[in-house]
Amino acid sequence: MATTDKKYNYIIHPDVYITDPVPLQTPDQNRVYTFYDNLREGRLTTTRCKECGCIAWPPRVVCFECMSDQLEWVDFPDPGRIYAFTVQENGNPPGFPVPTIYALIDFDNGKRIISPIVDCDPSEVTVGAEVALKVVPAPKDRVLFFFTLKDKK
Amino acid sequence: MKQKRVAIVAAGITRFGNRQATFRDLIAEAGKATFDNNKNIKPKDLQSFILSAVYPERAAFQGHPAPLAAEWCGVRPSEFHCRVENQCGSGTTAIRTAYCVILSGLTDMVMVVGAEKVMVPSHGEIFLNAMAGCDREWEGCFGVTPPPLFAMVAQAHMKKYGTTEEQLALVSVKNHNHSVNNPYAHHQKGASLEQVMKSRPIAKPLKLFDCSTNTDGAAGVILTTEERARDYTDKPIYILGTAQINDGYPWVNYPKDWSSWPALKIAAQKAYDMAGISPMDIDVAEVHDCFTISEIIECEELGFCEKGQGGRFVQEGLSDHGGQVVVNPSGGLIACGHPFGATGVRQAWEAFIQLRGEAGVRQVKDAKIALGHNLSGLGEHHILIYGRN
Repeated sequence: MATTDKKYNYIIHPDVYITDPVPLQTPDQNRVYTFYDNLREGRLTTTRCKECGCIAWPPRVVCFECMSDQLEWVDFPDPGRIYAFTVQENGNPPGFPVPTIYALIDFDNGKRIISPIVDCDPSEVTVGAEVALKVVPAPKDRVLFFFTLKDKK
Repeated sequence: MKQKRVAIVAAGITRFGNRQATFRDLIAEAGKATFDNNKNIKPKDLQSFILSAVYPERAAFQGHPAPLAAEWCGVRPSEFHCRVENQCGSGTTAIRTAYCVILSGLTDMVMVVGAEKVMVPSHGEIFLNAMAGCDREWEGCFGVTPPPLFAMVAQAHMKKYGTTEEQLALVSVKNHNHSVNNPYAHHQKGASLEQVMKSRPIAKPLKLFDCSTNTDGAAGVILTTEERARDYTDKPIYILGTAQINDGYPWVNYPKDWSSWPALKIAAQKAYDMAGISPMDIDVAEVHDCFTISEIIECEELGFCEKGQGGRFVQEGLSDHGGQVVVNPSGGLIACGHPFGATGVRQAWEAFIQLRGEAGVRQVKDAKIALGHNLSGLGEHHILIYGRN
């Protein structure tokens, strides 16, 4: 079973940043920190341009369509649906467990996200299955966004 | 006015493999091999140097590698030098850069060396480094590396076109059997269908033998103008066409249907138009088989077969010796190994020896036109077309 119970043992050294795989998420390090603040509240969000309405993924600080920097945060529509998935059984980077189910998840706003599907057995995952956000804690008060199946067999 | 052309006048390569050598050792070996290939050219004849290398900062803890590499090859550039990085497509991008610099008139001769030290002492770190080539903040943070991404490409192609795991495996069998005759390849023992199908699972449906091999290696080429080429060799190889495209980033922003790579089709057509040829004119194709599914889709998008028929194309032997076009006679990335920055230059080396009739046992009979293709993502492609005339 691929679950979040499987330990993520990220390589985090107090003096070396280069092996830490988790993004920096605070205002002093990252201008899209709001994404992570929203995530901590259980909301999956991204940026929409106030000038031209373009929705970006990943979130931006400048609209790639019109170069406006007037952006606002909007929620992803629910649910996401699996376009394709795979089960990685070998060759994951150190600190990441195997097996891991990776999926491409499509949303009705036209955006696609890649993320692990957790808390299920690989045999339960199907193309087209609906998934729900699962916010997972990461070291140093950070968070990541995984997904779970909405309807488990 | 006749379009000015650029030619390759020398090419050399190191043994690929888990090498007992540093990043700079590999560069020096490739430099020597390239100058040894054409005794009419000395390092001091070169005023320009380009290094293709993807992550020496991570794997060799070495930044600013271009002047180091030039020095290790005996070159003191006074006209142009730089390092080129475009992930797995760096080598082809570096040769394109040399092409542009020569046609600009800034310089008339450039050495391109592609080199990568991949096999660091802690094996898991190789996969950690691979994460950095994806979008580290939105993909790499989950441990995503190329194998699961290309596994989902395979899933999409199998679902839409009925491509089978056995057809994927046949790409690996073909390329492993090609590299039996390539003394520079990482793998030279060949592989059976059973061996590929029974190799350990990596990311479904991809197994170990469906994946290109992590390896150390380097390769070099020297390019010059058509006019100067004849001063150095009777058998220059010309660049007939080239194209490059990037359609979306990161991976989730490539076009939605991952079984089709429309960007490659567009780039290929541009390169064919520039060369004044059609896909049927290609005798030798060194394509980017980072995974078996990649070669199958590339054969489709490059126009060697109909869309969706890439699996059947390899199954029927049409991409092997005696077929329609010999795809990856060197063994490709799967059997030569894939030292990222070196791969595109290694492809140029294969094109060079094939078109000069110097490929030995794996020589493609009467090869006149060769194609080199690198990718750095489903929507990011780099193409060079080489010709004898």
